[in-house]
Amino acid sequence: MNVPTPNTWLPSADELHLFSPEFVLVGTIVAVLVVPLLVGRRPEVPALIAVLGCFVGLVATWAVSAQVADGPQAGMVPPSAGATPMLLADRFSVFYQLLLFLALGLITWLWLIGVQKRNGTDSTAERGGPEFFVLLLTSALGMMLMVSSLNLLVLIIAIETASLPSYALVASDKRSRLGAEAALKYVMFGATASAIMIYGVSLLYGRFGTLDLSVIASALDARYAELRSTVATFAPVTHVGVTDAVFWLGLAALGVGIIFKIAAVPMHYWCPDVFQGAPTEVTTWLSVASKAAGVGLLLRIVSLFTVTGPWPPPNLPPAVAGHTYAMTVAVLVGILAAVTCTVGNLAALRQENVKRILAYSSIAHAGYMMMAAAIIAAPSAASGVSAPTYNAGMAAVIAYLFVYLLMNVGAFGATALVVWQTGTDHLSAFTGLGRRAPWVALPLAVCLFSLVGLPPLGGFTAKWYLLLALGKSAATQPWLWVLVVVAVINTAISLYYYVRIIRQMYLRDDAALPAFRPPGGGVALVSACAIILLLLGTLWFSPLGRRAQALASDVYARPPAAHAELSHPM
Amino acid sequence: MTIGLTHYLILAALLFCCGLFVMTTKRNAVGILIGVELVLNAACLNLVAFSRYRVGTIDGQIAALFIIVLAAAEAAVAIAIFVNYYRMLATIDADKGDELRG
Repeated sequence: MNVPTPNTWLPSADELHLFSPEFVLVGTIVAVLVVPLLVGRRPEVPALIAVLGCFVGLVATWAVSAQVADGPQAGMVPPSAGATPMLLADRFSVFYQLLLFLALGLITWLWLIGVQKRNGTDSTAERGGPEFFVLLLTSALGMMLMVSSLNLLVLIIAIETASLPSYALVASDKRSRLGAEAALKYVMFGATASAIMIYGVSLLYGRFGTLDLSVIASALDARYAELRSTVATFAPVTHVGVTDAVFWLGLAALGVGIIFKIAAVPMHYWCPDVFQGAPTEVTTWLSVASKAAGVGLLLRIVSLFTVTGPWPPPNLPPAVAGHTYAMTVAVLVGILAAVTCTVGNLAALRQENVKRILAYSSIAHAGYMMMAAAIIAAPSAASGVSAPTYNAGMAAVIAYLFVYLLMNVGAFGATALVVWQTGTDHLSAFTGLGRRAPWVALPLAVCLFSLVGLPPLGGFTAKWYLLLALGKSAATQPWLWVLVVVAVINTAISLYYYVRIIRQMYLRDDAALPAFRPPGGGVALVSACAIILLLLGTLWFSPLGRRAQALASDVYARPPAAHAELSHPM
Repeated sequence: MTIGLTHYLILAALLFCCGLFVMTTKRNAVGILIGVELVLNAACLNLVAFSRYRVGTIDGQIAALFIIVLAAAEAAVAIAIFVNYYRMLATIDADKGDELRG
């Protein structure tokens, strides 16, 4: 055993600067804890600090985006020989930082409205402000690290940093029986999934002799080249050995953890229960940020399987080329995506609770986004189709996530306004909302139509770019047409349950239900979401697509130190 | 007979299976948590054994240390949630919470 000599390692200033958004977040967490001790526990104080932190974080993200504009930068490289980076900063991770800071700002806004509303109706409303924000910001930190980690150990820690505060957030309303039950279900499912995932990581460590994802990627490239030479000479195919079995087992176990974060089938059972039982602002956070981080992680892992040769390999018949890691993983992700969005949409049809309907809708949307992960970023030199230089799947997901953030914050925000007013989240609470609170009902209707994907709203733009990416990539992966068909059929199914809520608001009425005045801040929040969605569907249609392409990583974006020599080539 | 990598891996696989069995059959929340701990310990054993016999660097052992800390943190959060659940329902039977369904 060669134990490295102890040395003092300080990352350089440039390296640290790459991760300034994360540092800003850590600073905000400390400030949220300390400042209320000095100025007293008013709920506005931690919220203001969080908003301030988000602004500083956005500025820091903007500064980092200039640094990574030319390509990915690896950070946190230990100085010992053969050491590989722990974290990656590239345009994709910058997008996630942007998205998470935006989401944090919107959730803080929603939380402040909720606190005022509750304090108005319930004098004993005592909800730990600092505790809530510490948990919220810590889970955001974990989600940022999830998307930028390059090492399986960092990945595990990032996922747990995102998960553990989320469990506690669900139970943050300590007087809620439903919240307690939801948190129990969440923590049980989550602990099981993460334990299986960690076991899978230990198998991958044994298979590759490293925890570093970029070294694993190089080892897979080497293995792929070996397979290709074996198959091309029509020698016996020997690629189903013990090492490959361990690899697939480890990968499947790792997949369990990722699929749990996305709430995709078959790990989706927790999602509707938790979303219904959690306080609505927490539900909004989980439905946007937690899923977004899971999808980002899935894209990162799948892009590991991108082979560096031409695709499909010119000297192979297509049927044989399909027998590679990349194709197998892409097909598996594609099947899961198709099943996820179908199950989500079908289960939403028979729900009577609006938060549950939106929970199943978020499962369906996660399914659409997973479809993009099935696109293998592969140029097709052989077939002569000019391939994009950016990762098409990532670009589609970036556009989708941005729109999805606004749609979900709008829909859940409007639901929260109704829930805080009426005290129930059953569909009947929305009866006659078009008369009782027109300025909540109208933006909610816009967000719901956008969730369906109807033009001229942002949801249509997002689906358009997603289907376009799938269709374009179908030149090299013809089975992607199946996913396109599944997505279109699912859009038609989803129309039914979204329109059901709209019908309840506008076509059903009960004169006994009084009109109410929603808080101005809440109306501003949901209206802002609705207006931006309208703009995204019309004026900003092509700017969104261009911006998403610019933010996606390059096809072969591997960190600089990725091709370090393997300690254990296999 | 010398004890080698295979023995450790088999022990870890057995622990993993026991943990999985406990997680799927127990209804008591603390029982499920114990199953989770078994699986995490299986992972730790794997990491240390691979690190010692196969890889030759210490990163597997460092990972095992981190996972021990993670397991402790997870248990702390989980037990806090159990206490909260117990105050509401006077039980920690995971099956008794059935208000959220559909």
